[in-house]
Amino acid sequence: MTQLARRAAWTGGFLLALLTSTTAAAQPATVSFDRYHAPREVVAALDALVKASPATTARHTIATSPGGHEVLVLEIGPEVGRPARRLPAVLVLANMEGTLPVATEAALRLATLLASKPEATREMTYFIVPNGNPDAAARYFARPLVADPRNGTRVNDDLDDQTDEDGPEDLNGDGVITAMRVKDPSGEWLPVEADPRLMRKADPAKGEKGLFFLHTEGVDNDGDGATNEDGPGGVDIGVTFPHLFRPFTATGGRWPGSEAETYGLLRFAFAHPEIAMTFLFGATNTCIAPPEGGRKGSVDFTEIKVPEDMAKRVGLDPARTYTMQEILDFVRPIAPPGFEITESVVASFLGLGAVVNPLEDDVKLYKELSERYKELLKAVKLDGKRLDPAQARDGSPELWSYYHMGVPTFSMDLWTPPESADESKEKTGITADTLEAMSSETFVALGEAKVAAFLKEVGAPPEIKAADLIAGVKGGQMTPKQMAGMLRAMPKPKGGEGGDPRQKALLAWSDKELGGKGFVPWTPFKHPTLGEVEIGGAVPYADTTPPAAMLATLLDGQVPWVLTLAEKLARLKIARTEVAAKGGGVHELAVWVENTGSLPFPTAMGKRNQQPAPAVVILETAGAALLSGKARTPIKELEGRKATKLTWLVRADRPGTVTVRLESANAWGDAAEVKVGGAR
Amino acid sequence: MRTPITLLALLGLALAQPGQAQAPEPVGSRPQQFTQTSRIVVPLRFDAYYTYEQVGEALRALAAAFPELAQLEVVGTTEEGREIWAMTVNNPKTGAPLTKPGVYVDANIHGNEVQGGEVCLYLLNWLLTGYGTNEQISKVVDRNAFYVIPVVNADGRWHFFHDPNTPSSGRSMRVPRDDDRDGLVDEDFPDDLDGDGSICRMRKKDPFGQWKADPEDPRLLLRIKPGEKGEWTILGEEGLDNDGDGKVNEDAEGYLDGNRNWGWAWAPPYVQEGSGDFPFSAAGPRAVAAYIMARPNIIATYALHNNGGMFLRGPGTKADEPMDPQDVAAYDLLGKNAEKIVPGYRYMVSWKDLYPTYGDFDSFTYAHAGAFSFVTELFQTTAETYRPPDPATPAPAEDDDSDFRPNPERERERLKFSDHVAQGDLFKPWAPFKHPQYGDIEIGGWVKMSSRLPHPFMLADLVHRNAAAVLFAAAETPRIAMEVLSTEKLGAGLHKVRVRLGNSGGLPTRTFQTVGKRTAALDTLTVRGASVKVVAGGKLTDPYLEQVEYKDHKPEVQMVHVPGYGKVEYQFLLSGTGDVTFAFTSLKAGAVSKTITLP
Repeated sequence: MTQLARRAAWTGGFLLALLTSTTAAAQPATVSFDRYHAPREVVAALDALVKASPATTARHTIATSPGGHEVLVLEIGPEVGRPARRLPAVLVLANMEGTLPVATEAALRLATLLASKPEATREMTYFIVPNGNPDAAARYFARPLVADPRNGTRVNDDLDDQTDEDGPEDLNGDGVITAMRVKDPSGEWLPVEADPRLMRKADPAKGEKGLFFLHTEGVDNDGDGATNEDGPGGVDIGVTFPHLFRPFTATGGRWPGSEAETYGLLRFAFAHPEIAMTFLFGATNTCIAPPEGGRKGSVDFTEIKVPEDMAKRVGLDPARTYTMQEILDFVRPIAPPGFEITESVVASFLGLGAVVNPLEDDVKLYKELSERYKELLKAVKLDGKRLDPAQARDGSPELWSYYHMGVPTFSMDLWTPPESADESKEKTGITADTLEAMSSETFVALGEAKVAAFLKEVGAPPEIKAADLIAGVKGGQMTPKQMAGMLRAMPKPKGGEGGDPRQKALLAWSDKELGGKGFVPWTPFKHPTLGEVEIGGAVPYADTTPPAAMLATLLDGQVPWVLTLAEKLARLKIARTEVAAKGGGVHELAVWVENTGSLPFPTAMGKRNQQPAPAVVILETAGAALLSGKARTPIKELEGRKATKLTWLVRADRPGTVTVRLESANAWGDAAEVKVGGAR
Repeated sequence: MRTPITLLALLGLALAQPGQAQAPEPVGSRPQQFTQTSRIVVPLRFDAYYTYEQVGEALRALAAAFPELAQLEVVGTTEEGREIWAMTVNNPKTGAPLTKPGVYVDANIHGNEVQGGEVCLYLLNWLLTGYGTNEQISKVVDRNAFYVIPVVNADGRWHFFHDPNTPSSGRSMRVPRDDDRDGLVDEDFPDDLDGDGSICRMRKKDPFGQWKADPEDPRLLLRIKPGEKGEWTILGEEGLDNDGDGKVNEDAEGYLDGNRNWGWAWAPPYVQEGSGDFPFSAAGPRAVAAYIMARPNIIATYALHNNGGMFLRGPGTKADEPMDPQDVAAYDLLGKNAEKIVPGYRYMVSWKDLYPTYGDFDSFTYAHAGAFSFVTELFQTTAETYRPPDPATPAPAEDDDSDFRPNPERERERLKFSDHVAQGDLFKPWAPFKHPQYGDIEIGGWVKMSSRLPHPFMLADLVHRNAAAVLFAAAETPRIAMEVLSTEKLGAGLHKVRVRLGNSGGLPTRTFQTVGKRTAALDTLTVRGASVKVVAGGKLTDPYLEQVEYKDHKPEVQMVHVPGYGKVEYQFLLSGTGDVTFAFTSLKAGAVSKTITLP
């Protein structure tokens, strides 16, 4: 965009903001949260919202799914219809997984909340995607009930000569696809002792032998000996984003953005540089559990090894390590004239790769906010015992937003069944986080019994003994911090002696609150090819989807947190200007730019990947000459609640006005006029 | 000075009407452009370069001259609205394109790396004019489908010829980007101050400068050694500080690198400059990838670049090592022969022998299209020789094009080559210029149509040999023959039948990665007979010791992979009588079937 156009857009944005602030709030459209809304009803609800407030809401179609659903963005804000927006925006993505109807309801609730609170969008825009994976989302409203995150792309899962030819069947006609267990001497599964409705894997190391095979409910339609191995559906949109994308997986799609839903969203997000924050309603909850690190392969810019051939080419020593700055300082003077050596150039030539763990400053921020959020949960009485939230998956929109968009990224899973009673008792309370902060002395003081209990909790192999661990820490061979890293890298214990904690919680919940409707009791069935089987098991969605009667309470309590976070967005202002005459018509102009928000501008990751554009301070000197400093000065970073001082030397023989404009794509902006000039 | 292109785009100006023929530029208006100056007719000429418009004319001329064999289509539109063209060469009498092994060639994804476009045109011209006159050419045209996209970065090629450039500038896709992060986009580009059509270099007399004139050839600048007196400061590429920020040419058009924007091992720009915001964010790579993925018969791909003389294969990053050794063997067959077809060019592994690249073309087409994929770096400046015929003198090392290792000897020879072989066409002598910001300076140096591009007199050799390297690959695409080896009556109405699928091409029917990593369904060998039941069937692993891997289920459908210059054999136990048909249907190697009658 030209300078002129940008300026016009910027001024326009402010004018519009002023105008809408004086407009009376339109009558909000109502959406009732006493039931779940199918994708088509969601579209209707968005249309109703747009109809009720056409000046401040709009819907955008960013893709059509292979199953024929539109992927929609609901825009709520004062800049609807403008080609470029100058006010910051919050991107809200819901149910990217496709199997979490409560996430879609939360997005709808947010939309109605914003419609009823015009002040929340007076100076910012919300882009809400209520159904990021509509093909999958539609399954909750179809029968038989099956939970499957895949969209309608046709994928030949079993690599035979047919596609989508062997999906599940509702054999017992109960409207639900559950599981089949078949007695078989080579089976791998056992009923859980405490509750034989639950199944767990037999552990041969403990001398156990499996008794059952487990299948999903259905028949072998294509006669290849496998049941339901190539059902309809292709790609799980929740893992198709570019950060840590895994190619060649069963449900991950071909490449990041290979699916229309994902590509449309990537395109939309990068066409909107005003996006300052992403909020996801889905499977993870970074509001409660900040993102964990512990992945291998993150590059440390303070310890870079230069491969031998590269080192030879430029004259560096392959045997030692360098900081990024040292490499830059070394290479820049010998670079050919006009060839700019940047961090990115060095990183790509050395093949240093991407950041894979959340940066420390950002984790700190997440942790602080998580404490505030837990206080909110307490206040609204939603702080009961719950299951641990899942961590973001590789290729997820959560990771993409944080690592690629570089904006603060929060997520909320809204509900889990309460943790079952026997899981919550006797817990040591030791986690990766507590270990991280623990001194070696404190660890040793825990004593052998507690450490042993902790090891059991996390499912450590039996050869790791508490006494050895304590001795190791005592002797300095290991620190609690290192253990925290190892713990984070470990897979979560699943299906131990007591069975999967989520299934256990579901069963308890089903028995107590659902009158048993969350679990189909194992019932004998005569299977056409497998013979005598039992059909039963967890009802799909029962462990993620609260009864509709709970929706209003859950959403009213949690969804407003999005608005609270949005209030914390970085907001850049001109705090002060000063002019000091230096004599001879020369003046020093000082401008303090401050971030009045509590979130940083940008995140630590945003600094690293240079993704959100810097703010720019622009001087219009109108006849006065700039002796030092630039007419356009980028501000690349500013912590929350901090200010930075910029100075220029200006020569102005006659009194005049310097206009100082502060422009930012996603942190508002400001302007000031300063009287400068006149030789004294 | 140019108007920033984004401004024009905003104003909605039509920049080009690529679908229509445009009049060639008047001869002599642009010195050293080396472009076609006469009307474009078939057979095409290869004594000069084709502008973007002329590539279009040439393709239309070929399509008109060979309406049966050549199909021209538009596969996409660039950021600035130009068409991206593809030509299919296929003989419909021998089958539809999708029923034959596909060979794909594209070029000029980097706007300035133009001569690949000429290789594409040469290949097309050769296939079409050679069909029916040359036996080998006729064979590949009958047996293969050729897909050729001469110009991927259509905007880039257009601007390379029409705008002043260095040999290396104009590489990018025309996706606006704020390189200097000042809030303005593409606002400080190089300027052709002396109006000669090239962006050369600027130097200024400076006793404290870090450079001095080479005593042997004062046109050349050498970095001074400690203790030496400087003469010159190099100010960089020809241009102005257009945006008044104290820097010159720091925010030119682009930068999105079309060959870092693909969907395999893509990494964001902080990891690797130029990759774009996300995979296939640029129009060209997106359109071309869709074109390739819609043609699953493609088994070999070539993307033509410049320069250095390399046949590069993947992987693009170390993380994708090791490559399946049997795929390496197939690559070796093509790569090692290509080295012989094009003297001086080296067959190399991209990440190891050059540098790592994320999101590149050839890694993508290998992984997702299952094609043996090369990036050819066309042209070597070592071909620009001026030296005595002394067989004992070894050829000087190739410039690595980085200037990190200055090679003044080569530079002197190239200057003499320009003087005496190219009649001064390649180097612009330093000439005084009054710069509005730097004052008295000199402008000179290698011109746009130098350094990475062969002089037109060398073009014919380059396009011919590199097209021949592609033809070598086409001749090695899989060719499957089926033999029914034996039938034996086992009694009780049971027959034992052995079927062999032999490949007389050097490439396997699929990459071994497809098999090993299970990335796609393999080809099928099906057995069908109205009154025949397939009792058992499977791969015969030892015909003498009768070792068969019978398939547990559905023995009438076998999933098949045939290695290059190899065979696979299957054994079936059939009950019944009458006709039984064995049909091999391949995604990339056509189809073949045989019917026998069981007594």
